[in-house]
Parts: sequence; C-alpha cells; structure tokens
Amino acid sequence: MYTLGIDIGSASSKVVILKDGRDIVAEEVVQFGTGSSGPDRVLHQAFTKSGLTFDDMAKVVATGYGRFSVEQAQKQISEISCHAKGIFFLVPTARTIIDIGGQDAKAIKLDKRGMVSQFFMNDKCAAGTGRFLEVMSRVLEVPLDKMAEYDSKASEVVSVSSTCTVFAESEVISHLSNNVPKENIIAGVHASVASKACGLAYRTGLEEDIVMSGGVAQNEGVVRAISKELQKKVIVAPHPQVVGALGAALFAYDEAKKVQ
Amino acid sequence: MSKVETIVANFKAIASNPKKAIADAQAKTGKPAVGVLPVYTPEEIIYAAGALPVGCWGKATKTISKARTYLPAFACSIMQSIMEMELEGVYDDLKAVVVSSPCDTLKCMGQKWKGKCPVIQFVHPQNRGLASANTFLVEEYKLVRQRLEEALGVKITDEAINEAIEVYNENRQATRKFLEVAASYPQIITPVVRHAIMKSRFFMDKKDHTAAIKELTAELEAMPVEAWNGKKVILTGITAEPDEFLEILEEFGLAVVADDLAQESRQVRVDVPDGDEDPLMRLAKQWQNMYGCSLATDRDKKRIPMLVEMVEKYGADALIYCQMKFCDPEEFDYPLLYTQLENKDIRNLMIEIDQQANSLEQIRTRVQSFAEMM
Repeated sequence: MYTLGIDIGSASSKVVILKDGRDIVAEEVVQFGTGSSGPDRVLHQAFTKSGLTFDDMAKVVATGYGRFSVEQAQKQISEISCHAKGIFFLVPTARTIIDIGGQDAKAIKLDKRGMVSQFFMNDKCAAGTGRFLEVMSRVLEVPLDKMAEYDSKASEVVSVSSTCTVFAESEVISHLSNNVPKENIIAGVHASVASKACGLAYRTGLEEDIVMSGGVAQNEGVVRAISKELQKKVIVAPHPQVVGALGAALFAYDEAKKVQ
Repeated sequence: MSKVETIVANFKAIASNPKKAIADAQAKTGKPAVGVLPVYTPEEIIYAAGALPVGCWGKATKTISKARTYLPAFACSIMQSIMEMELEGVYDDLKAVVVSSPCDTLKCMGQKWKGKCPVIQFVHPQNRGLASANTFLVEEYKLVRQRLEEALGVKITDEAINEAIEVYNENRQATRKFLEVAASYPQIITPVVRHAIMKSRFFMDKKDHTAAIKELTAELEAMPVEAWNGKKVILTGITAEPDEFLEILEEFGLAVVADDLAQESRQVRVDVPDGDEDPLMRLAKQWQNMYGCSLATDRDKKRIPMLVEMVEKYGADALIYCQMKFCDPEEFDYPLLYTQLENKDIRNLMIEIDQQANSLEQIRTRVQSFAEMM
C-alpha cells in the first residue's frame, strides 16, 4: 500500500511516498512553496521517479502553510503534528524537536509515545528562520550551502541582532563595510538564528534527545550554534527537509488502515 | 427563522455594525452617546445622566498610520486603532469620552485625546484593600460626575445613579446566567455568536440588552441539550478578536464554554454592592471587590486558581491565553498561569491577539495543532 504526504511550505514543497507505512519510495523537494508552481512540480517529480500515480495512493495527507490548497489530499494536518510524527518515526528517542523552516521556527515537546505535549512557534517575524539566512546569504554573497563551511573557519562570532531581519541585514552590511571577515559574520548570523530558536526550545524543558528538522537543519553551522547555546547534543534528523511530508505520509497510512 | 436565530441575528448585526446600532439606540431612546474606553468605567454615572454609554474597543484590521505620530509602535493594537479613529473624527459625535487608567498606554490617552468631544479621565486606585482606596475613588467619580454634568448640561442625582446601578446589576446577572446556560449549547452559541452577544452590550441600552439576553436564555433552556463531539476551551485575556480567530476555533471543533476576557466576562463578573450609602461609594466598592483581572492589582494572584477552577467546573479540555500584543499586565500574568497549568496537566495555548493582523494563517496552524494534541 502506498501513501503520500505533501508538505507545502512558504519556501519549498516536499513530497514523500511511503510503502506500507514503512519504506520511503520517493522523497522530493522543490525550492518553491505555496502559491507557486512548486507543489505541482514536486508531485510530478515524485511520480516520475517512482513510476507511480495518484491512483496508486491509498491516501494523501497535506501539511504545511499551503495544506488547504492541495485538492487531492483527503486530509490536512498541521505541520506541528506531522513533524512530530515524522521525527518519532525516524528517531524514536526524540523528546524535543527544533524545526526551522523557511518562514517559521518551532520547538515541539514529545512524550514517550511520540505525541505532542506542548509546542511553541515564532512570532510573525522572519528573524531566526530560513528566510533570514536567505537574506544574509544574498547580502554576504555566499551561497546558502557554503555558509556552514565559512562558519567552520570563523575566528570569532560577531554580534548580529536576532530581533529583526531588516535590522540584522543593516548590521551585516555595517560589518562588511568595516572589513569584518565573512566567516565571522556568518558565525554571528548562525548564532542569531540559534538564539531565536533556542528561545522557543528552552520553554519545552529541553528533554533529550533533541532533534532538528526543517531545511535549516542542513546547515551544520546553525546546528553547531544551537548545540553550543543549549549546551546539549543536537541530533539532525535523517532527511531533515522532508520530515513534515514523511509525517503526513505516515498519517495517510494510518488513515488508509482505518478504511481497511 | 426560529426565535433563537432571530435574537442571535440581531445581536450579530449590532456587534458587527456599532455605528448603526448606536444610531438606532439613540433614535429609540433619544439619548446622547458617551464613549467609554477599555477597560472598566462607572457606566452607571453616564447612564444616570440620561446618556447612552458606548464601548470604544478599537476596530479590527484598521490600517494604522496617523496614530504613529502619538503612540509608540509597542502600544497595544486597541489603543492604536482608537487613536487612528480619533484622528479621523470617528468619535466626534460623542458628547464625551470617559477614560480609565489601568495601564501605561491608557494613562496617556486622555492627555493625547485628539477627538473633538471632551475627554474625562480618572484613576482607579490599585492598592484596593484599603478603605482609603474607596474614599479616593469616590473623589475620582465625583469629578467624572461633575464633568459629565458639564458636558451634557444635566444634573446627575444620587437617585438616578442608584436606579442605574439597578439596571446594570440586572444586566450583569442576566448576562452571567446566559453564559452559564450557553455553555451547554455550543452548537447554537458558537464562539462567534457568543462574542457578538457579549460585544453588543457596548452598543445597546442595557435595559434592551437585558431583555434580549433573558429572552435568549429562556429559549435556550427550553431546548434539549445535545452531546458535543468537539472539544471545550476557556478563553482568557483582554479580547478574542477578530471574528476570524473565533471562526478558526469553530473550524477545528473548539467550543468556548467560559471566558475570562476583559471585554466579555470580566465586565459582568462583579455587581455593585447593595446598600443605602452614597451610590459613588457603592460603585467604588465594586472596584474593590473586582477579582481575577490583570488590571486590578491582586497580590495573591487569585486569577490563577480561578482559571484552574473554571477549567474543572466547565469540564474544559484546554485553556487559550489570548495575549493582547504589547499588553504588559497580561504578559506578567502569563508565566505564573502557564506554570500552574502545566503542573496540573491542563492543555494550554497562547495566541497573540493583534487587531491589525491581516493574516491569521499562523494562528490557524497553532489552533489546528492544538486541536490535534487534544
């Protein structure tokens, strides 16, 4: 039995196709989110690579910011629940999740059964999210996927505001005009993201294992900064960017089993 | 349309179009309108002056630009939209506006008032346990009375204030009874309807509101109670607006079975005590007796156990803290309440309330996640 989870975020669209609620047969990411061609393209990619179609799917569950825009989905489930489900599937020892996506950051507390017992989300502000890193990447002229490498070579961490992306951008420009090495600025940018995310994570009580998901978890510099701020080990989930879609596919499997 | 539907539709029409509701009430009663800003005002004195007290609680999704000249960006959204509307002349038809001073922003609203009508500001004493606090508040209320008399050109007698107290106490009692009964009828008294009924108090003559709410309560009581398949929540905070937020609660099957909102239940929580003494002293004692509100100092913070007891009493599945953005008094209470709720394993969610919010998608995600947790 195949089930499909689709996670339409603000910055990207993700799909996971599961076989029998256990094996990932397709996982695709397109870097365009809700309101764009991203959702159609990511579905097309997933079906092309797997050789499957919608007709093969027992159930489809949508999550993410654009979850109500997927016509084919039989159910919409929030990204908090889907991330919890996906993480618990991948890392059953997880008790705290830090998820940083394109537009929001979340800290989720799980109980021993993998159920969400509390969660906290960022305010209506891009600081501490993937969008913040995108803005900084552009200002610094360093590609997103190279930022962790720069960070690893930093000799010190410069101060970058975590309150507001626009203010932080002007701070970074100021550092650049003062010839501060980009490595040190990037380490500061990552520390800024970490302080914002940790502000949410502290409220959960920080039970271990602490697991990171979301696109930003692919940035080792941010992971290091979060681990340093929390003084705790932080595990990066396998397939971090598709954890939400995986959770949705698992929920779809549960739904499909109910029908049988 | 059933009788209940007709009454509810009338309440919704009033709450959604205050301007028309006030005009209708004035046409019916011939009374001039006097504005009352949040949160607590001795409306009885206004009513005794033969005027219609009308609530000024801001406006949802109002674009704020002119108000920025007079208020910092971190003033709450209710005050931002009131200031914006002052500058646009929205309140110029009012004969006066009465402003209390329970928070830092409201303290300055009288000084900054840009409307054309006179503004009457007064202060509630916060050291409320002392007898001298009542003496102080009586002096404040005397000034309110005197300035209202000047603004309206009338004499406000003790007898008229005592009669107004009776009208208001009856309304508070009828509203509290309605809220008790409504908790059993979430299919009819949805979060949006419940809010409209409470909000309409601000734009109706209280005698008319009392009559309508009594009629609705009687109609509800005659109906069978049906099982509720969704979850039950209690709201606490200053307001739970806009309606779109309440619609999200409905969308995910959450019924509001009780509230501790400053705009709603806190307005009817405490009656003015009976007695033969000076009616202004009776009104002062109502403030002394007020409890469970972040704006009325309470060293014992009884609001916290009060909310825990409310959750138990109504069999609520969770509590939602409607945190008015930038409201310091509410922000100070939240950590204390959060700790207690967590200790007692009571599900809870904090939602930031902002009248100027145009997109509620993040709130939708939070509420859906919360509903999925329960």
